[in-house]
Amino acid sequence: MGTSNEYGSLRTAILEGDKDQAVAIGEDLAANAEDILEAVNVASGVIREVGDQFGAGELFLPEMVLAAEAMQAFMDEVTPRLEADAGSAQATGKVVIGTVQGDIHSIGKNIVATMLSASGYEVVDLGVNVVPMEAIEAAENTGASIIGLSALMTTSMPYQKEVVDLLDALNQRDDFWVIVGGGPVTREYAHDIGSNGWAPDAAVAVQVCDRMLALPTSPANSELIYEAAE
Amino acid sequence: MNLDRILDVLRKAHEGPVFKERDFNLNVVAATIRDKVEKYELTNTCDTDDPIGSNDDLADRVYQAGFEAAVEIGLLCSDTNRAIRFTADELQAALDEAPSEFWLGEGDNRVHFRHRDLDDPTSPVWTVPLSIAVSEDVFVPMVEGLARIPVVDCLEGPSLETVWGYPLRSGSPYEHLAGRYQADLMYEGVRRAGRVGMPMDAVGSSTTHYGLLGGYGMEGGYRPKHDLVTILSIADFWTSYESLFKLTQVHVTGGEFISASSWIMLGGYSGGPEGTAVACVAYTLLMFAVFQGSRGGVPPFDLSYMGNSGRRAQWALSVSNQAITRNTHVVYHSIANQVFGPGTKELLYETLVGMTNMAVTGVTNVVGTRSAGGRRTDHLTPLEHQFGGEVFKAAAGLSREQGNEIVKRFIPAYEDGLPTATDGRSFQELYDVEKLEPIPEWRAMYEDVKAEAIDAGLPLA
Repeated sequence: MGTSNEYGSLRTAILEGDKDQAVAIGEDLAANAEDILEAVNVASGVIREVGDQFGAGELFLPEMVLAAEAMQAFMDEVTPRLEADAGSAQATGKVVIGTVQGDIHSIGKNIVATMLSASGYEVVDLGVNVVPMEAIEAAENTGASIIGLSALMTTSMPYQKEVVDLLDALNQRDDFWVIVGGGPVTREYAHDIGSNGWAPDAAVAVQVCDRMLALPTSPANSELIYEAAE
Repeated sequence: MNLDRILDVLRKAHEGPVFKERDFNLNVVAATIRDKVEKYELTNTCDTDDPIGSNDDLADRVYQAGFEAAVEIGLLCSDTNRAIRFTADELQAALDEAPSEFWLGEGDNRVHFRHRDLDDPTSPVWTVPLSIAVSEDVFVPMVEGLARIPVVDCLEGPSLETVWGYPLRSGSPYEHLAGRYQADLMYEGVRRAGRVGMPMDAVGSSTTHYGLLGGYGMEGGYRPKHDLVTILSIADFWTSYESLFKLTQVHVTGGEFISASSWIMLGGYSGGPEGTAVACVAYTLLMFAVFQGSRGGVPPFDLSYMGNSGRRAQWALSVSNQAITRNTHVVYHSIANQVFGPGTKELLYETLVGMTNMAVTGVTNVVGTRSAGGRRTDHLTPLEHQFGGEVFKAAAGLSREQGNEIVKRFIPAYEDGLPTATDGRSFQELYDVEKLEPIPEWRAMYEDVKAEAIDAGLPLA
């Protein structure tokens, strides 16, 4: 078991975005902690706190990015131990994420990618101006189960639909969960184009991804998920 | 347009210092803005109790911080990953070269854009609407309804959701077609409204350069000698070939007028309201330098509700406006970013606050209204644009102190609801589209809020 001092140091390292310290603590806990899952839960609690503060406007994007990077560095150290401890390894998902074709806005996509990464997801960031087939092929090639698509303009939203349409045409609709978001992207639009998830902000996006992966149904048969579970 | 400056910008975009995205955002933008906020003792200067302050020294420090930040940050071109940077002398020379006044449009509908000072009674210029998507079948009636409003000077949007029934896709040939198609529809709308010659911003339906290539500078398209070309760079010190293509298109078509704009995200890489105000100034100066703006401006956009009607954003807007107005002669432009939808009083209160702030802090030209945050197709009506123009022009000449009292009175009417703002109702629901008249319920809301504004001291007719 980690000591309260170690957990306090871990909390400080994440809050201050101190990657080196997060790695050092991770190394120590991976080697010595009795229950590594407890340490991961502590770190997850801190990153949720960071996300809440960002959502409330009490903490800003640079601090959140650095905290997420420290969290990721910590997780890189403890993940082998997590996987080795049968039954205690956390199931995490892999997400490919990008801003769709014709759209070069990145901040919203970056925030969602940061929150997903901090929450334990493996995130493959495709950047901006991502053509529909590129998103699908990236998901195939990386073994991702979720495709996240951001659009900040009404004129780029059709490319979110295009990804879903291509998956249908390729008979691959059941292979990937598709979550969409962005300023003009409404819940109704997400439903109408046949996507699986929609979120108004990054925190909800993480919760929607969590719910999608926990569903017993396949993507093609899923209702739109747009909020955290009760 | 000055070709030597265009070539210098393109050279910088291909030879400037190289950055990866993360390093530029965190180690250049965030670090530089943080340093300037500390150096100029701006930490905790945001006063949410008085969103429109009257502290000239504070405005000047924000300007100096912004000028230094502009020199040190530059604009990163996303296609080359190189920063377009200027020396302090180059930046100042570019600002000196920017016009302090110009005319757009033709005949009786010509419009004079002129630098305004703080508390300046000079009538400002009201451009409507933002490029919010509208169904193709109501596009012309919408333009007609907007152009009929006497206090409306220029047109920018709306934007088309479809072209001949097909979804308008960014960066596709549909967008190229949309450039000229939108010009045709806009001219038809102003003809019906009796406002032929009205200036326009090109091209609302197309954020990429393809719409401009398809609709500006050819027979029947947008007019290089009478219309503005809107160049909206990516938020927070990024630009791209898309925007640079617009610059070169204006040059090759003999155009003269560019609107050089973007946004700074409050809560983003520039941090809180003080850093955001500094970044708004820095980015504005860079946009004038890179794009030879006839008008320009970079307002804040609060990430927590995707608008700028809240107290922190209004403060950042006010102090950055004052900084630019006091320290340059440029024609300054800004945007009030509402989030409530048409058919709500909250949208009118947001408009009252934002336009009053702009008027008393020296903004020459505002483009609006961002009805429903621009989120929903057809969720804009002429009536809130009429109200926005009436407020903007009536508030010109009020002092900052008077403006602050109005803003303080009306922010509480909506601020708690900003993160969960309702979309309101559509044009078709709130208007008789054939007669172009609002339904009585929407008209009554307008009359109520107008009466409250008059009671608060705004000299509305």
